[in-house]
Amino acid sequence: MRVPRPRINGQALTTLAILGIVGFLVLLPMIFLVEESLNVGDPMAFPPVEFGIANYISIFEEDFKTVWNTVVIAVMATVMAIFIGFALAWILTRTNVPGREKLERLMELPYYMTPLVGALAWAVIAGPKSGFINQMWKAIGGTNDIADIYTHFGIAWVMALFEGTVAFVMISASMKSMDPALEESARVMGASKLRTMLTVTLPLVMPGVMGASLFVFAEMLGSFAAALVLGIPGRIYVITTAIWDSTLAYPPDYGRASAMGLSLFIVMFVMLTLYRRMIRRGTFTTISGKAFRPRPMDMGRMAWVLFSVCALYVALAVVFPIAALLMTSLQRFATVILSQAQWTFANYEIALSLGPVRTALFNSIMLGLGVATVGVVIMSLLVWIIYRSQLRGRGAIEYLVMFPQAVPRLVFGLALLWAWLNIPIGIYGTLWLLALAYFTVMLPLGVRTLAGVVLQIDKSLEECARVCGASWAYQMRTVTLPLLKPGILAAWLLIFMACVRELGASAFLMGPNAKVIAPSIVNAFATSGTELTAAMALIQTFTVILALIILFRVARGMTKELQ
Amino acid sequence: MSVTRIEVKDLVVRYGDQVAVNGVSFTVGRGEHLTLLGPSGCGKTTTLRAIAGLEQPSGGSIRIDGETMYDATERRSVQTEQRGVSMVFQSYAIWPHMSVFDNVAYGLRVRKQSQADIKTNVERALDLVQMRHLAERGASKLSGGQQQRVALARAIAFSPTVVLFDEPLSNLDAKLRAEMRVELRELQRRLGITAVYVTHDQEEALAISDRVIVMNVGVIEQIGTPEEIYNRPRSRFVADFVGSANLIKGKPAGEGLFTTESGVSLKSVASHTPHGRETEVAVRTAYIELEPRPGDNQVSGKVRRRLFHGDFVQYVIDSAIGPLIVRRPPINLLAEGADVTVSFSPENCVLLEG
Repeated sequence: MRVPRPRINGQALTTLAILGIVGFLVLLPMIFLVEESLNVGDPMAFPPVEFGIANYISIFEEDFKTVWNTVVIAVMATVMAIFIGFALAWILTRTNVPGREKLERLMELPYYMTPLVGALAWAVIAGPKSGFINQMWKAIGGTNDIADIYTHFGIAWVMALFEGTVAFVMISASMKSMDPALEESARVMGASKLRTMLTVTLPLVMPGVMGASLFVFAEMLGSFAAALVLGIPGRIYVITTAIWDSTLAYPPDYGRASAMGLSLFIVMFVMLTLYRRMIRRGTFTTISGKAFRPRPMDMGRMAWVLFSVCALYVALAVVFPIAALLMTSLQRFATVILSQAQWTFANYEIALSLGPVRTALFNSIMLGLGVATVGVVIMSLLVWIIYRSQLRGRGAIEYLVMFPQAVPRLVFGLALLWAWLNIPIGIYGTLWLLALAYFTVMLPLGVRTLAGVVLQIDKSLEECARVCGASWAYQMRTVTLPLLKPGILAAWLLIFMACVRELGASAFLMGPNAKVIAPSIVNAFATSGTELTAAMALIQTFTVILALIILFRVARGMTKELQ
Repeated sequence: MSVTRIEVKDLVVRYGDQVAVNGVSFTVGRGEHLTLLGPSGCGKTTTLRAIAGLEQPSGGSIRIDGETMYDATERRSVQTEQRGVSMVFQSYAIWPHMSVFDNVAYGLRVRKQSQADIKTNVERALDLVQMRHLAERGASKLSGGQQQRVALARAIAFSPTVVLFDEPLSNLDAKLRAEMRVELRELQRRLGITAVYVTHDQEEALAISDRVIVMNVGVIEQIGTPEEIYNRPRSRFVADFVGSANLIKGKPAGEGLFTTESGVSLKSVASHTPHGRETEVAVRTAYIELEPRPGDNQVSGKVRRRLFHGDFVQYVIDSAIGPLIVRRPPINLLAEGADVTVSFSPENCVLLEG
């Protein structure tokens, strides 16, 4: 039987073109990275002439301590993040804690704070000697320091607080999609609340918790900001900071950095693949994908205890850090003893009058606007192709687009640096390269957000337009795009925020004439006072918040128009 | 039927290695209401979507009003929007970002009608489904039944000759479904629409169709009027899926006779030319009497169980030809343990093709 295949060549061409462009952006840098990691000759030779695996061997010989630090910190951070995430998820989805909905919203805040700002804040709160906790301790008669954030535990603590939010999101999602009748039947059989939690809830969400642990552990291995701010003063290096350090050495050891970066990438890639396997194999048999009406358990007086647990988390992850940064930034010399404080706005004046800081902030915002706007258009198209079209090879496109998720930002930055040093197009050291890098690393974030919305739109809404006689273009204009509007806006916002805060990839790609804000804050922390750094961190944070508020206003107008 | 509106010939639809529809042929006459009936996964929805052009077949042909919409050998496939058919979706597919009026007007606007015509046609369509008073309401604020009506109004607003229905009533509660069945039938008759209707609900299929096609695993089991399908099921599948029937094993014993496994001889009929290898007869539970009737097949039995359903009573009878399910009107109730004579007409003892 002959099978009609209309426009097969056009389709194949489209697929090839997309695969080519995305592949160029995503895979090519990695190839350059592999090449450089095998370079055992002159580290500055482009392209390398001598190849070998000496760089990999030295990871286990010279850098064993670094590997050990990385694992210890990542394990500690994962355990803390999962513990916090599970407790909060259970409280907020399974009990009648007062103010549940508001609390659930607050849980997102630490994510918006970013690990960089969080680490700076905790350096102010719990740094040795001048940290606020130690100042207070001495003021009431203590002699030695009682808090030191510049330790393995300190780094893990900050990572768990500010990067562990994803654990909460994942675990509460799996709790929400569990049929409450499963718990209720345990209660009916005579089990207490605690027993129900331990014998029914916990085993049922265990696959979800395992998945989250794997995912969070992979994230923690590639985490950079907290280790950079809190690890370097105490000379505690993890892989990411060791990569960073070896490129700053003279002469910069790109070979060693690449080998470490690739090894890290491979470990993370394996873990994320395991994670995907786990969800796909249907270990979540109780999780039907159907959302159940939450039927929280009545906790009686215990509810207020649970409430304070949530409040404590918000205090540690949001209120104290912001307060500490505010206090620091408004003083000449940071102190928590109010009688000694010299209040001033000088830090903000300096921060805003310093040419480099102003340019960096301006550049970051422009990059955010540009990348978010152009990116959202391209990503919407990609999402439509991947999830709605019949195009052959759309699975491959999806895989490529999601690939950057498995690469630590910092490693990807290094790979791009190396690639563009070799590619004879002069965008190295300019904002264009940063824009390209941002677009590539934001692909998974943007595509995932948009896909969430596209998949929610019932296919028959589009089909119905076609049956009514609309052409593809007319259908897109009157049905698909209007329905996608809120999702597109959300994706735009997320990308904009992620760009303004970007540190990992920017660290390597920033040039003297193309500065951006997050790496500048790190530099300020290393070279100038805490007070100035705090001011800069807050300026960055409030810029993002301001942008958010403006856009939420616009968004509300738009959704009103929709109804 | 007078003139053929839709002609489907040897249709094959594949999903990868799976064959969803495997060589299906039928015609739909002008103004006819044809229902595709079958369990989920039997290929009925896929067939419907292939007619609409929403599914790409891999073989066969589809013609509407004599015009080729799809033909595998000619390598021709008309785009959905060019086919001029209309469709009501299972999920209703009401666009939440538009008002009721805009939803219904969509097909008219696509056809570039004047503002005045659009208004008249939308109002006419909304009147037909008694939804005119809600024209300005946002579509996201409608109940299930109202969405159903809007979907219907939208499907008929641009006066299509063919309307495809994909399980349109399956998301409504039982009472509303029964009402809408009557309304749908009325509307289809009044407007003279040619309807192809997909459902897995056999009661619905029998109630509203001119003809029913019973499908199973991608092929047609039987085509016929509701009465033919019910009274003369061709296969075990049809007898079992449509209505309720007792299936009695045995073998044919010459012209119009069937010997059961227990050795009882029954007079039977067949809707096909018997080939002698048949193994079963089907007897509808509603066609069995519990008192002797001369001329009928008669077997003695005993009431084992009585289940009172309200609209009918269901008896489980232990009889000489095995256990039988019998449905009777809820009058003259028989006690459990009572001796009875089971009788059923040869007309209702149907030899199945196998």
